[in-house]
Amino acid sequence: MGLDFSVLTPFIPALVEGAWMTIQISFLSLVIGLVLAILGAFSKLSPIFILRKITEFYVWVFRGTPLLVQLFIIYFGIPQLGVQFTPFQAAVLGLSLNTGAYATEIVRSALQAVDKGQYEAAAALGMSKPLAMYRIIGPQALKILVPAMVNQFVMTVKNSSMVSLLTITELFRTGESIITSTFHSLEVYLIIAAIYLVITSVLMFIASRLEKGMRVYD
Amino acid sequence: MIEMRHVNKYFGKKQVLYDINLQIEKGERTVIIGPSGSGKSTLLRCMNLLEAIEEGEMYYKQDLVQGKESKKRIRQELGMVFQRFNLFPHLTAIENVMEAPIWVKKKNKETAKRKAEELLTTVGLSERFDFYPSNLSGGQQQRVAIARALAMEPELMLFDEPTSALDPELVGEVLNVMTHLAKNGMSMVVVTHEMGFANEVADRVIFMDQGRIVEDGTPEQVLRNPQHERTNTFLSRILA
Repeated sequence: MGLDFSVLTPFIPALVEGAWMTIQISFLSLVIGLVLAILGAFSKLSPIFILRKITEFYVWVFRGTPLLVQLFIIYFGIPQLGVQFTPFQAAVLGLSLNTGAYATEIVRSALQAVDKGQYEAAAALGMSKPLAMYRIIGPQALKILVPAMVNQFVMTVKNSSMVSLLTITELFRTGESIITSTFHSLEVYLIIAAIYLVITSVLMFIASRLEKGMRVYD
Repeated sequence: MIEMRHVNKYFGKKQVLYDINLQIEKGERTVIIGPSGSGKSTLLRCMNLLEAIEEGEMYYKQDLVQGKESKKRIRQELGMVFQRFNLFPHLTAIENVMEAPIWVKKKNKETAKRKAEELLTTVGLSERFDFYPSNLSGGQQQRVAIARALAMEPELMLFDEPTSALDPELVGEVLNVMTHLAKNGMSMVVVTHEMGFANEVADRVIFMDQGRIVEDGTPEQVLRNPQHERTNTFLSRILA
């Protein structure tokens, strides 16, 4: 007995491919989720009642139900209505909507955390609301939201393992299939875990650099 | 320049301004005094529409104030200095001053920079151009804020208790800058508790209490010869 990682050597290309799929799905979901979050946050803070209610409903549903159920509804359920997604599309859609719901709250609270006096000072100088958002509020909100957003992004990368159940050969599913041919579960799971750790660490490293860059004015 | 007619203002159900009739002329230096909660800050904030006027009318240069256009115009032509400075923390002192001229008035960067340097020098901060607000004292921050408002070349400056958030030893430097401005002919409306400033600089003093203008006249009349008991009480309390 003992650990023997050498049995995995022939599977390196497969692992790389699986990791690449995980990165693609995560990255797309992060970008789309972020766009949803910005739209969501502004809707939630908008004076338009119906917009606020729609966003509240969206956030409520996607935060209050399991991601797995959301993915299954999108991939296995919705085809019943005549719309069939590819596994990749379903995966990105599900993860984006899920990330977007959490990130909406992050962006909203960051915008509200910027001192009210900043809005007033910008307005008193004749800035329009969009200009004040772009030049004054946005940069300050960004600084506030980075730590929470990084957490959310790390969650999304880890959650992407669930899309293996939509028959996508991403990192986790690659591992499963290597186990069926080698029976070395521990080595495989350890390697898989290590690769996730590398991906999330890179993300956290980028974020910490970003945070340092923004800390100049404290 | 600014005229208010029968202005009432409410925060929720609570009325905070009662039937305000007021005319502010260009070239005037008006000081508004009164106990806290008397509505003086609210009145000032109504002038540049940071607070909405629910009842009554306001005229700006004879035009009825309504809609986005007049709001834009008023805010570009009136400068505002806040009690809590409200500098932009992510910008340096000079960037704070350059921001609105560049983005609102579309001045080119060089022009805006030269003007900002000049203004910061005038308020005594020639050594602090590249400091972030967090590295400046309260008095220095407030002077940057004054320079920031002046950079828009306002026709009238509004000061909302500009020294109330300052440590006592820093009050003087800000009042000096304001006095200097006044002596150079800047029109201003100042909400303050600094009676010395009112006495020296104002050509008009307004006393407010419980949302009403109680007294309105020269410093001589209002500060030394008040007609109302409430003014007397307030003055004796604040000068004691």
